[in-house]
Amino acid sequence: MAAASIPQNPVQDFLKKPINVTLAMIAYVVVTTVAMVLISNSRQAALYPLFNMIGFTAFILSPILIISIPAPNLWRGLLLVAFVFFVVPVIGLVNTAYLELAIQISLFAGMALGLNIVVGFAGLLDLGYVAFFASGAYLWGMFTSEANTVFRQNGWTVDPANFYAFLVLGIIVAAIIGILLGSPVIRLKGDYLAIVTLGFGELIRILARNLDQPVNLTNGSQGLHSIGRPPLPDFLQSLTDGVADFFQIPLAAPGPIARQLMFYFLAIGLIGLIIVVARSLEESPIGRAWTAIREDEVAARAMGVSLVRMKLLAFATGASFGGAVGVLYAAKQTFIDPTSFGLLQSIGILVMVIVGGMGNIKGVLLGAMIITLVDQHILNNLSALIRAAVPTLPSSLDPTKYQPFIFGLLLVLMMIFRPAGLLPAARRRLELLAEREEKIEEEPKTKKVK
Amino acid sequence: MSAEAYLRPKRGLASPLTGVIPEEVRQTWFYKFLLFPVGQMIIFIVGASAVLTLLAYLVALLVPEPRPGIVLADQISRQLPGMIISGITIGFVYSMVALGYTLVYGVLKFINFAHSEIFMVGAVTGYEIMLRIQEAGLLQQMSPFMLVPTLVIGSGLLAGLLAVLIERVAYRPLRGAPRLVPLITAIGLSFVLQDVVRAFFSLTRNAFNLTYPLNNLEWLRAPVRLTFGEANVNVRVTSILIVVSAVIMLVALNYFVNGTKWGRAIRATSQDQTMAGLLGINVNLMISLTFFLGGSLGGASGALYGLNIGTVTPYVGFIPGLKAFTAAVLGGIGNLTGALLGGLTLGIIESFLNGILVYFPALGTRYTDIFTFSILILILIFRPSGLLGEKVDEKV
Amino acid sequence: MSIFESRGATRRFGGLVAVDSVSFAVEQGEIFGLIGPNGAGKTTMFNLITALTPPTSGQLLFQGQNIVGKQPHQIAAMGIARTFQNIRLFGNLSALENVKVAQHTHTHANVFAGILGTPGAREEARRVEAKARELLRLVGLGESADEKAKNFSYGDQRRLEIARALALEPKLLLLDEPGAGMNPNEKGILSDLIRQIRDQFNLTIILIEHHVPLVMGLCDRIAVLNFGQLIALGKPAEVQSDPAVIDAYLGD
Repeated sequence: MAAASIPQNPVQDFLKKPINVTLAMIAYVVVTTVAMVLISNSRQAALYPLFNMIGFTAFILSPILIISIPAPNLWRGLLLVAFVFFVVPVIGLVNTAYLELAIQISLFAGMALGLNIVVGFAGLLDLGYVAFFASGAYLWGMFTSEANTVFRQNGWTVDPANFYAFLVLGIIVAAIIGILLGSPVIRLKGDYLAIVTLGFGELIRILARNLDQPVNLTNGSQGLHSIGRPPLPDFLQSLTDGVADFFQIPLAAPGPIARQLMFYFLAIGLIGLIIVVARSLEESPIGRAWTAIREDEVAARAMGVSLVRMKLLAFATGASFGGAVGVLYAAKQTFIDPTSFGLLQSIGILVMVIVGGMGNIKGVLLGAMIITLVDQHILNNLSALIRAAVPTLPSSLDPTKYQPFIFGLLLVLMMIFRPAGLLPAARRRLELLAEREEKIEEEPKTKKVK
Repeated sequence: MSAEAYLRPKRGLASPLTGVIPEEVRQTWFYKFLLFPVGQMIIFIVGASAVLTLLAYLVALLVPEPRPGIVLADQISRQLPGMIISGITIGFVYSMVALGYTLVYGVLKFINFAHSEIFMVGAVTGYEIMLRIQEAGLLQQMSPFMLVPTLVIGSGLLAGLLAVLIERVAYRPLRGAPRLVPLITAIGLSFVLQDVVRAFFSLTRNAFNLTYPLNNLEWLRAPVRLTFGEANVNVRVTSILIVVSAVIMLVALNYFVNGTKWGRAIRATSQDQTMAGLLGINVNLMISLTFFLGGSLGGASGALYGLNIGTVTPYVGFIPGLKAFTAAVLGGIGNLTGALLGGLTLGIIESFLNGILVYFPALGTRYTDIFTFSILILILIFRPSGLLGEKVDEKV
Repeated sequence: MSIFESRGATRRFGGLVAVDSVSFAVEQGEIFGLIGPNGAGKTTMFNLITALTPPTSGQLLFQGQNIVGKQPHQIAAMGIARTFQNIRLFGNLSALENVKVAQHTHTHANVFAGILGTPGAREEARRVEAKARELLRLVGLGESADEKAKNFSYGDQRRLEIARALALEPKLLLLDEPGAGMNPNEKGILSDLIRQIRDQFNLTIILIEHHVPLVMGLCDRIAVLNFGQLIALGKPAEVQSDPAVIDAYLGD
């Protein structure tokens, strides 16, 4: 009965069969991958920035498309694994800039998923989320940097081989900081909480900048340099060389590239873990309690939900994700300073969550992807294009300088026109779906009185 | 909150005094719109200064010599008048910005986070106006009594109109949305405004560190010497200009809100929008008017702030904005008298902190902001209704 | 021992005394009516019992234990559940999820069990699901378990609130105008439902209701509040003929 009223559409018919969609997806991945190789080999072309900008964006959106196709889980899983563990690394060998972008996207996605727990699931607007990221980054940085801090002076530094232990430690420390910062303010009303968390973000930054005296903990505004990196496993080096040989990709610097691959896999592993944790929590009684709090605090309390406990749990969980990403970030960048942990970074992560769709894991991944791409890829290429076209353009109009403007504008536009984000949370999608079915049945839904 | 409480809290610091004054006097225009508000300011200033002076000496008692050879009590005594005067100066700026937060909170019950950027726009507009005057070669001839009103009115007008525009474009479509939605919008707007201002000045003036052309003004550099007993204090002319301008504007605002039918309509709108609408008040117009009032006060104080510190940037709004918000919360958000009290108190607190922290080697003035921010957190936790606000229970 | 007792419970809002030293006791298994004109303090009384509003003074005893000073979620866990006069469902959650939220205090799975999906946690999830569906069937909403609460009709939302309250496995159930907005026929069905759940779950029920026939037919005893004060307490017939009550409803 439903099919009759849907207009016949060949594209829709085609997309109904899982096998067709899967094949189309494989074709999409192959085409964009080939395009990436071709683009990488034509760096001298005048329109290279344009191809680069569009090509990589289309290419890297594949995972989101793959998990969205209406195909059995097994097929989607296989495609995803093939893309993430094979296609991206190989393209990364061809052009290391792409590998770097993939790592950045993964790191920001990890943070956005953490913030999503706080903002999307529990409905607490945290404007200082970067504080937890900073605590993870400084934890690893202080113990391994070669800067002349009190740690180096007293020989308290640790061997970078302890990286994995510190990853766990980063999770714990950030969760503790989350609880410490959260517990005094968790009872505040939503907008007050937002401003106070904003202050906490600034507080951590001010501390990072000023704690070079009386004892030098953070090396102040100079930042921590030469931060330790986890040792590169031998197999990864030989694997990199082998794959490069097989595809006959000339590697400019095999060592650093293998190391980049290691960070890529670490970042992928971390967000994989974060996604699993976030999903299980969402579907657990804890996730339900968070939604209840978001919907109606008073009713939630009367139904036995402990506001303080649940909100702190959201804070701590979100914080721990940020802390873990921070540790990895510091190890990858090998340099951190207070400017990496300002309000703009917190807002950037918030923009990812809001653009993608608060409360929806897939949406947040999409948001993190788009915003990181805009920030680190699209604006640069746009700038190169514009400068090629208009060489006299004043440097103050360079698009790369308008990152805050774009973040701000996106927040305003999303709030006015699409507050639920590009991919609204599942509970909202259910609602939209229900409305469509109503139309098909052509019968207004009135509840029968029993 | 009752209509009275919106402006004149029962527990105001001035209330014990009003009892002494006969009823006939209290009904006069002179008392209601001049003596009362100015008296209130003086009481707030004296009260806050006295409390902080005591606290400062208490610190000196606990830590007599923070650094070898430096006796804290002596230092405090020497700096006391200076600290109070600079505290009052910045306190009036905070008060005026805080009024912007509080006015908007009063009618729309939301924190206009972008208000700090309205302040910033006022500060850069002041710079632009002053530079235009200089370029026209008129700066030297202009007396301070011409220059300061020009800056204040110009910046106030532009910032007020901008605030109205922002409300119309960005906030009005969101009325009735969950509380956090307009807040997020406001945060977005802050970034947009910062970058637009930066782009504008980068293109027109080739820089965005904007230094007010103050150096050639002879009258500005000559300090006014005040004598307190044996101590002589040099007061900057800008301080005097700021305080005088602020007092005039605050008195005018008080008259507008309490003495005119427009003010009454705004107060009615803040009480109950639906009811005000039913009584024939154009609610949207009143909201626009509120944004204009708040915006122009913020813009004018931005220009005064620019005169005070000399150099402004598109990012100059953030910290004063956060502090003014702290002031509004300290006084009791939604309460106009509270904004005044909160601003003056916070200004004086900050000035004392700056004066005293210098002598503590481990801390230093770089932690002043953290201290002021801790005040915000402590108030929000222990007395979210502020000093003068009334406690409001959530309706179940 | 009474299951619930209010000893001089008082709540002031500024100058207004919403509940003015009200004392009464409710016996195990009773259906106890709380009536009074608008603004008499009935809902405030419920808010005091569930700690959403702390009392200014007085004691509230549940199973002999003073519950003043406890947090709302602690009171819920002790076995006091309620519905709201102005329905407060989690509108964007399905009916099933609404009920599951209230089972929160009776689940033991912690964060790590939830993340790891331990057999215990999965078993518990199954149990919670089955219980929630059963409660929805009981109030007559078994068919629409997966629909969003905000799309329900008024009467269905009231029934869903009852199901959600029952999920707390309460000993004392507070119903705030459960029949508001229902037609006489629905109110009749509601009366039967209230009696049925009282018997089935061994509950004690305190009921706020405006509709006089419903209260008179259903309640074992009734307390009447007026301007925050208790003006009458007794069997429905006694209360109905009490001059003070008649005066409160009809007077000035």
